[in-house]
Amino acid sequence: MFLKVEELSKRFGGLVAVSAVSLDIEEGEIVGILGPNGSGKTTLLNLLAGLLAPSSGTILWQGRDISGTKPDLIAALGIVKTFQNPQLFAELSVLEHVMIAGHLALKRLLGFARSKTIFAPKPARQELEARAERVLRLCRLSEEAHRPAAALSYGEEKMLGVAMAMMCEPKLLLLDEPASGLGQAEIVNLGAVLRDLREHGTTLCVIDHKVAFLAEFAHRLIALQNGSKIADGTAQEVLGNQSVITAYLGRQHAGA
Amino acid sequence: MTQVILGQVLNGIIVGTLYGIIALGVTLTFGITGIVNFALGQFMMIGAYAAWHLTDVAHLPYPLSVALAVLIAGLAGFLSDRALFQFTRNHLVNGLLVSIGLISVIESGALLLFTATPKNMDFVLSGSWTLGAITISRMKVVTFAVLLAVIALTWLALANTWLGRATRAYAQNPEAAMLMGVKTEMLQVGVSVYSCALAGIGGALYAGIYSLEPSMGALFILKGVEAAILAGVGNLAGALVGGIILGITESIGALFLPTAFRDAYGLVFLVAILLFRPSGLFGGQK
Amino acid sequence: MSAVWLLVPLYMVPLVSHNEVLLTILIFTYILGILAIGFNIVFGYAGQLTMFHGAAFGIGGYATFLILTKLGISFWLAMLPMFVVILLLSMIVGWVCFKFRLREFYFAVVTLAFAELIRLVVLNWNDVTNGTLGLLVLDKPTIWWPGRGVVKIDGTVPWYLLTLTALGAVTIVSQLIVRSWIGRNFAAIRLNEELAQTLGINTFRYKMLAFTISNLFAALAGALFGFYSNYIEPAQLSITQSLDAIAMVLLGGMGSILGPVVGAFLLTGLPHIIEFSAELRAATYGAILILVILLMPRGVVGLFSRWRHVS
Repeated sequence: MFLKVEELSKRFGGLVAVSAVSLDIEEGEIVGILGPNGSGKTTLLNLLAGLLAPSSGTILWQGRDISGTKPDLIAALGIVKTFQNPQLFAELSVLEHVMIAGHLALKRLLGFARSKTIFAPKPARQELEARAERVLRLCRLSEEAHRPAAALSYGEEKMLGVAMAMMCEPKLLLLDEPASGLGQAEIVNLGAVLRDLREHGTTLCVIDHKVAFLAEFAHRLIALQNGSKIADGTAQEVLGNQSVITAYLGRQHAGA
Repeated sequence: MTQVILGQVLNGIIVGTLYGIIALGVTLTFGITGIVNFALGQFMMIGAYAAWHLTDVAHLPYPLSVALAVLIAGLAGFLSDRALFQFTRNHLVNGLLVSIGLISVIESGALLLFTATPKNMDFVLSGSWTLGAITISRMKVVTFAVLLAVIALTWLALANTWLGRATRAYAQNPEAAMLMGVKTEMLQVGVSVYSCALAGIGGALYAGIYSLEPSMGALFILKGVEAAILAGVGNLAGALVGGIILGITESIGALFLPTAFRDAYGLVFLVAILLFRPSGLFGGQK
Repeated sequence: MSAVWLLVPLYMVPLVSHNEVLLTILIFTYILGILAIGFNIVFGYAGQLTMFHGAAFGIGGYATFLILTKLGISFWLAMLPMFVVILLLSMIVGWVCFKFRLREFYFAVVTLAFAELIRLVVLNWNDVTNGTLGLLVLDKPTIWWPGRGVVKIDGTVPWYLLTLTALGAVTIVSQLIVRSWIGRNFAAIRLNEELAQTLGINTFRYKMLAFTISNLFAALAGALFGFYSNYIEPAQLSITQSLDAIAMVLLGGMGSILGPVVGAFLLTGLPHIIEFSAELRAATYGAILILVILLMPRGVVGLFSRWRHVS
């Protein structure tokens, strides 16, 4: 059993952002989440990543109840999330970002022995840098490695977010609108990165508005509206579902 | 025994009102300019020394001195806002550090002008009222009444005038308020100055009761911040109540436990509250 | 390049100059520099504004002296239990501040509250601490010197060498920490705590670490200060002590390991260049603080170079 969400709800005062959502994600799947703005997609991902504590319901990860667990522990358990609006460490370079993201990898590599690296930082640093370089290459950011992250374009910043998440060697990667704001070439690159992740065995859960992009490689789609799940199935099933069409596209039936 | 406790509670309430007016200044400043002005205690001291000087040295009638002291404190507030705080809007750490620097400057100024020797104002309103075995000086009661009135008027203004509503709107949602035509920079300057004026009137009234030392500013800002946090920073209505609760806690604490640790009782209470209700007793904003 | 090499030439100063005033200024610079470096770690690198280091500084002095006198052991041995005390205090105060997810402003207030509480205790516990009168410290640390056996560290030049060496040790330790993955995590927490958490960094643990390190350095400085100036008093625990350290760090520059020492030198040396009354000195400190924040956020060192926080 991989990820199992049961009757998850989140209330902010009087506002119900997520309402009794239940879903399962199997290992190796790629699940796409779609829904109009305000349907609770980002809140759902924030709940899974531990950035928000649920008002009610449970999140079970590999059999373990992680509802309300802190984000750093959830990341250590293998669930990593990227941000819709790229989150960066101002002033630092692209390489430094990825090196910081290598913290979990360093921990897993050396455990307590990493304390020794304080006195002999070189070997561990080189190992980490090698991994960083591989990730940056995949995300087409190798050239920017020493530039300040703030100087990147919007699309590059988003890819940096993905790169950092990849450094954490996630089992389940939650991507919040990775394609929004990206140019055509960047989207192709993103697709390549996601396919590489899939080959690596990483399970993906992707929010996006570009339905075509999602339908292309997601095994399953989940549709949300007003915080509730309204459809769950293959791309064909969900996109053909009348309530989804109404929610997303208004009354007109249109192609994806 | 009950009389003694009651007496202490009453004292605590009166001192608490002084804490409350500083707390109101702290909360207003935080809500509108995004910083905590640690130097507010110094503006209280300015008001106090101004009132003392005008009454005892220039021989002006006390009410006039108070009014002038408030103006002076407000002017000082305006100057420091223009020179310093306008550059630290919404930057909590910088605002904090600048205000701390300002404390040294103002306190040193006071030490040079007035020396550390405590100043006592000649009795303005002598005599006291008795209720059973409890005696309260008239001046303390008048102080309490005036401060209460000022705070109440502030609340009313915030609730009912256009300016007041604009202030509250800005505290809730700065962008929306800007879009609705609220002149935010002026509002921020205004609130900054008003907080200093509030501190000034607190100081001017304080001068009529207690003796003045340049170090009083540091003491009161700590209490004011404690009271504001206790109530919940951003909670305007709670500031006064927070101050009174703090005042009573200290008085009762000093009654049953060593007096030397008087200041500590409020601190301990504060830390305890922060642990269990981080947004304060009444909940704050931001 | 290791910053420590910058300190090596300073060993030559006593050979070149016999000016007591200069050497004394430098001794205080090194001692307060240790305090400032500590604060720089928790604030400049990890981004947490805390006001506890002043209390740690004072406790360093009081605890070392009291342990030394009550147990009759040497200065060095007395420091060990003192460090344990600081460690425990840091863990308690740090736990209160960081566990409860208090926002930045609240740490400053809560650490200030704890520091004030400690000061009040010290001020009033007359049997042990002698209250406002303070304690006279006549003991001196001793060291084994080849050829002379056990020697007391007494007099300007020995103290100069001792404090410079202590500063060197602190600099080496700071550098090792800051240039390691720990320093990277401090920077991450300072720059974007939420992002750091989603990347698996336990921000609570690292904030505690930074806070504890800052207090340990402060305590070391306090012990040296007390035993050098022969006097330990409650004022060494005050908020003013914390503020002085903050001013030094801001003035010298937060972006480098030794920047705070430059700040310490400027603020220690200044009163000697210009004869100030105590009030004017305080006013000048305040004015400097304000000017630095508004005009020179990178401090003096920042004016000369663009050193960055993460290596």
